[in-house]
Amino acid sequence: MSRIPVTVLTGYLGAGKTTLLNRILTEDHGRRYAVIVNEFGEIGIDNDLIVDTDEEVFEMNNGCICCTVRGDLIRIIEGLMRRKGKFDAIIIETTGLADPAPVIQTFFVDEEVRARTMLDAVVTVVDAKNILARLDDSHEAEEQIAFADVIVLNKTDLVTADELEKARGHIRLINAQARIHETQRCAARIDDVLERGAFDLDRVLEIEPNLLGEDDHEHDQNITSVSLSSEREIDPKRFMPWLRELTSKQGKDILRLKGIIAFPDEPKRFVVQGVHMLLEGDVQKDWRPDQARTSRIVFIGRNLDRTALQQSFEACIARP
Amino acid sequence: MMDAPLVESHGRRVTCDDGVVELAWLGDSLAVALAGGAVRLDGPGSKKVVAVHRRAILSACAHPDGCSIVTGGDDGFVRRVALDGDVSDLGCFDRKWVHALISSAESGAVVAAVGREAVVWSGGSAKPIHSFAFSSTIGGLSLDAKGKRLAVSHYNGATVLYPLVAASGRVRLDRAGSHLACVMSPDSGYVITALQETGLHGWKLPAKTQLSMNGYPAKTRSFSWSHRGRWLATSGSVNAIVWPFTGKNGPMEKEPLVLGGRSDTIITQVAFHPTGEHLALGHGDGAVSLVRLDDGAALLIDAPDQSITALRWSKDGKKLAYGDEGGRVGILDMSIRA
Repeated sequence: MSRIPVTVLTGYLGAGKTTLLNRILTEDHGRRYAVIVNEFGEIGIDNDLIVDTDEEVFEMNNGCICCTVRGDLIRIIEGLMRRKGKFDAIIIETTGLADPAPVIQTFFVDEEVRARTMLDAVVTVVDAKNILARLDDSHEAEEQIAFADVIVLNKTDLVTADELEKARGHIRLINAQARIHETQRCAARIDDVLERGAFDLDRVLEIEPNLLGEDDHEHDQNITSVSLSSEREIDPKRFMPWLRELTSKQGKDILRLKGIIAFPDEPKRFVVQGVHMLLEGDVQKDWRPDQARTSRIVFIGRNLDRTALQQSFEACIARP
Repeated sequence: MMDAPLVESHGRRVTCDDGVVELAWLGDSLAVALAGGAVRLDGPGSKKVVAVHRRAILSACAHPDGCSIVTGGDDGFVRRVALDGDVSDLGCFDRKWVHALISSAESGAVVAAVGREAVVWSGGSAKPIHSFAFSSTIGGLSLDAKGKRLAVSHYNGATVLYPLVAASGRVRLDRAGSHLACVMSPDSGYVITALQETGLHGWKLPAKTQLSMNGYPAKTRSFSWSHRGRWLATSGSVNAIVWPFTGKNGPMEKEPLVLGGRSDTIITQVAFHPTGEHLALGHGDGAVSLVRLDDGAALLIDAPDQSITALRWSKDGKKLAYGDEGGRVGILDMSIRA
């Protein structure tokens, strides 16, 4: 059974999320999207595939203190599967003030949802004009950027080149790995935003850890990214226990992590991703012959100690 | 050599265009609610497919009159379809999904779970008589044998009330977490819910003594009480897990019967024969089997195909109907002599 790709669309109030959604729903792209929204009235387009919901977040009784999931999504996805064949992908819009974690966690913890769908990407719409003010006064605006795989930096026509550069810089500080598309009135190419594939994990490989401006303390940034890499192969017997311990101790602060890891004698890439305390890892496609077997891992979160992370990651290097 | 599945010598199969959501016996006729929004009526001498909902049917049950089926859709409608194919509206709830439907021929009640409300019809009413609101979305509904008491599961527990009484008091059964399907024992002495994390939680009434039944690899979606409520069969494991409810403490500190598994596929549907101690099982691999409670002997009714989604005995226990995700419907007729 093929799994249906799911895009999570977030963005602070007024950033342009509804504009983007309307664009997706009206443009002729040959794809049929089932859309799960919170405020049906805002969309203004009648479509059999729009589902109205109330965000119902609850805590899992699985001993994981920050593991909250969206019960309404579990029900809706199960119901939508009755209409299998009527749509190609699912888009979930969250409210402007929502923390994206429960949505993403739903796709990690519910077995039946996992069997039927796969999280494709978290897309965050950011208002270039108001982003700096929002980052100062809103916890949620910052988290929405932190969780993103794709950022639509919107309203670029309303800012100066200098302001835009600042906005870009701040986004990069919070989230070093998201793809940024700069737009006016959310006029992004649909295929830049939707169905990017597998949480856009290959993007992790493209990051140059040394280029990250971790010393830029101009703004008192709460959430940051730490990207680590190793040319030497990693020992799975050290790596997995390290990650498990790290996420069980610092899971509250680690919003997301993604890694592509080379293990000795393993022709395939080991891909790992996590949200707070939830981890999921698997060997996926082969390393390409022309590709350096460089292991990389990116953490996005609060209170990340780069030196400590680097040292403990390096302790996982396989010894010959 | 494997024996041919029993349905081939003692029954028949029908292929529908969409997955089967629910089945209801209306006397000798079978009504099949389909995921595409239609109902197939299959009676002696008459077979027809009626378009009922614009989109998917999410829930269905027999109407208390015994000769029509009630369906709930993701178009927000609750409709009634009579055996002759006549469709009438029982309610419209705009964009809300009608997630569950149950009824009782004994009390005449029909109850629908619509978002956070349990909506009630009574005595064949064409419109709801009243509804009960909850603070979170309803996970499941269950009525006792007389159809007088209703159990409603929701976040952080379940509630028991008298559905036909508009001003009914409520008994709160508290337990943190998301409670999905639920079942009340025929004598209303127990309420059991299925948990999001898998496993079951229960309360013995009126003392509200809590019980917990764990070890299920998948969520339990199907429950079935044996004749007089002596056993409760449950889905969600590779075997049917059958809990004893005899004695004054029910399943507490007792071992369940573990019956009828087929290698590693999960059991999706369970249905006790209305009078005997036989249990019909629908499997995730599409097989259907019948097991005898006292020795666990099993018979193959149908071979693997797509996952079984509905399983219902006729009231007299002579026929068993089942349906799967792909639209296969089978009817086993025990009165046929091979």
